[in-house]
Amino acid sequence: MTSQRVRWIIFGSLFVLAVVSYLITIKLKIRPSPQVQKTYDYIETLPPSSVLLISFDHEASSLPEIKPIAQVILRHAFSRNLRIIGMSLFAEGTAIGYNMLSETAREFDKGYGSDFVFLGFKPQYISAILGMGESIRSVFPEDYLGNPLDSLPLMKHIDNYDSISMVISIADGDRAVQWIEYAGARYNQKILAGLTAAMITTYDPYLNSGQLYSVVGGLKGAAEYETLYGRPGSGSRGLLAQTTSHIFIIALIIIGNIIYFRNRASRKGRG
Amino acid sequence: MRTKIPLAICFLSGAIMFLQYFSRHPMAKTVYSGILDWWQIIFAFTLFVGVAAFIKNGVKSISRRNDAPYKAVSLAGLLLMPILALIGGVKFGSPFLWVFDNMQAPMQSTVFSLLAFFVASASFRGFRARTIPAAILLVSAVFVLLGRIPIADYITQSFSSAAFWIQDYPSMAARRAILIGIGLGSMTTALRVILGIERTYLQGER
Amino acid sequence: MPIFDATTLPTLVVSAISLIIVAYAIISVKRGRGFEIREIPGLKAIDEAVGRATEMGTPVVFTPGWGGDIQRPTTIASMNILSSVAEKTAEYDCRLIYPTHDPVIMAVAQEVVKEASLRAGYPDRYRADDIFYITSSQFGYAAAVDGLISRTKPASVFLLGTFEAESLIMAETGNSVGAIQIAGTDSTIQLAFFIVACDYTLIGEELFAASGYLSQNKSILSSVKAQDMIKILIALFIIVAIIWATIDSTSTWWRY
Repeated sequence: MTSQRVRWIIFGSLFVLAVVSYLITIKLKIRPSPQVQKTYDYIETLPPSSVLLISFDHEASSLPEIKPIAQVILRHAFSRNLRIIGMSLFAEGTAIGYNMLSETAREFDKGYGSDFVFLGFKPQYISAILGMGESIRSVFPEDYLGNPLDSLPLMKHIDNYDSISMVISIADGDRAVQWIEYAGARYNQKILAGLTAAMITTYDPYLNSGQLYSVVGGLKGAAEYETLYGRPGSGSRGLLAQTTSHIFIIALIIIGNIIYFRNRASRKGRG
Repeated sequence: MRTKIPLAICFLSGAIMFLQYFSRHPMAKTVYSGILDWWQIIFAFTLFVGVAAFIKNGVKSISRRNDAPYKAVSLAGLLLMPILALIGGVKFGSPFLWVFDNMQAPMQSTVFSLLAFFVASASFRGFRARTIPAAILLVSAVFVLLGRIPIADYITQSFSSAAFWIQDYPSMAARRAILIGIGLGSMTTALRVILGIERTYLQGER
Repeated sequence: MPIFDATTLPTLVVSAISLIIVAYAIISVKRGRGFEIREIPGLKAIDEAVGRATEMGTPVVFTPGWGGDIQRPTTIASMNILSSVAEKTAEYDCRLIYPTHDPVIMAVAQEVVKEASLRAGYPDRYRADDIFYITSSQFGYAAAVDGLISRTKPASVFLLGTFEAESLIMAETGNSVGAIQIAGTDSTIQLAFFIVACDYTLIGEELFAASGYLSQNKSILSSVKAQDMIKILIALFIIVAIIWATIDSTSTWWRY
């Protein structure tokens, strides 16, 4: 069998599995991991009116995996009457973040300017992160919609990271590392990351050293958080497709090794 | 002179940024904030370079009939989005956001989803127990794959515990070692650039 | 307000030690001491890769990845290797295609390749159109490079720089067209993908040592050696800290 044909079989089978998994509904028992529990507990115990800075540091490509994480955190925060400053260090994350923040705010009747604000996008992320440590206004004199920051009630007493309880970086890459290395190291800002599953291991050293407060990772992390929050969402919905895909890949590894050992045995027999 | 001035600027900028880290004096903060502002401004101008290069490339390809329809679509997209943003704004429900949500986001997600298929084919090809270390790697991969799905908890909770243990200890140890090497490499490369030993970025000199 | 921030003292001490070691290495070289770097298979294979492309009459594709911009040391290290590859492709009259996501990287790469062609003695073989900016969007860039690889079917693909999720997409596409692939990145996650999908992978600081390895420039080699000396010091520090922390679990001197 040619390698092209093998590729087609693998790709076709995975596609069918993923589609079927989204068409059927099986409720899976989800046990929250310690990191997700820690995140939930922190937001749950924050006093009302505390301010969170949520940075949508991702692109549209990772939306299916990242959106469930961002959505459940936003819902939890708004349900606790926390105030949110949104921003992005990625050009694409700007529109996504603004949309998500506005949509979720509507669910909870939150008002722009008083309950949430979206600052927009700043290129040169390192200088933006460091600049906000001195003065948010120097980096963002106006918000995403062109309103001067001083005209927004939420921003009246917010000058820099001192007035912010936590920075949450929703990232599909290493942008959260920059938050840790600049805002965390220089300004002692507490950092939490919402990440794609592939990026979790990148942040393990920072988690272990305490530089990163906690992590909510991948669809599983989103599903765990939704379990704690008590409202299933797209994280729980997508977990069945992830489960079947993982089982399929394990099966492929086993089949690949069976083929390998069989070929090796027949080569030894001939030799 | 052509290289001496950029090298001098590079050295001064590097030295200033290095030294200001160790001071909280208002003068150091002022210099630092100034450099950050200039950094932002210079970067904004480089975006113009990118747009100009993209348009030049596209127009050239169209005139040579080289993938002309695709280049035309790319250029149309480049022109359309700012026009939509200027006319309809970028607020919730604007045409700009509609195009972004219904065209760009799905296209990006589609290309990202290719990763799942490629991981499957790479796993089939790459995870062979050729040697004992390869076999250990294979078993670890299976544990981590099982640890990331809830169904494994129905069999035993050991899978997720094993997955966390593998991530927290052997995997992290190896990754930290590589990160230390990369950190040192980055440091010496940056030092070479600041001291003017490394000049490749400057007209390709070696 | 004091000029020096006392909380940064540990960083200053470590920086000073590193600078002293680098200075010692550079001075040693000026006094005639030579430094050698062990063989790095990925860099040794550059000749083979370019030769293969020349024989097959197909281009070489070199991509710096999407994740970095010109200020990143990884991108600068990638430019050093580009310089060597460009010199060889000019010498063999082999086409070199360099798609990039950043206009500044494009401008620098054009100069690097032009200079390399000049050094090889074939300035007319420099093609500015083959070094181009695609898009700053991650998967737009990945899709474009994939399409380029699928259409041109290069014999060799170089994936050297900062990569993120697009790494495996590009590496698998290169693999599917039968290209020889040499990869290197500073991301530990993407390294794992490259090791599975590519023929040669530069791991960790091998990418940064490339400049010295390829040019055999004594000053650069000395800084690579300084890197090794600092790493030995770090390893000794870790061993001492482990032993100390095991004996005295209340100690914290090694934490700062």
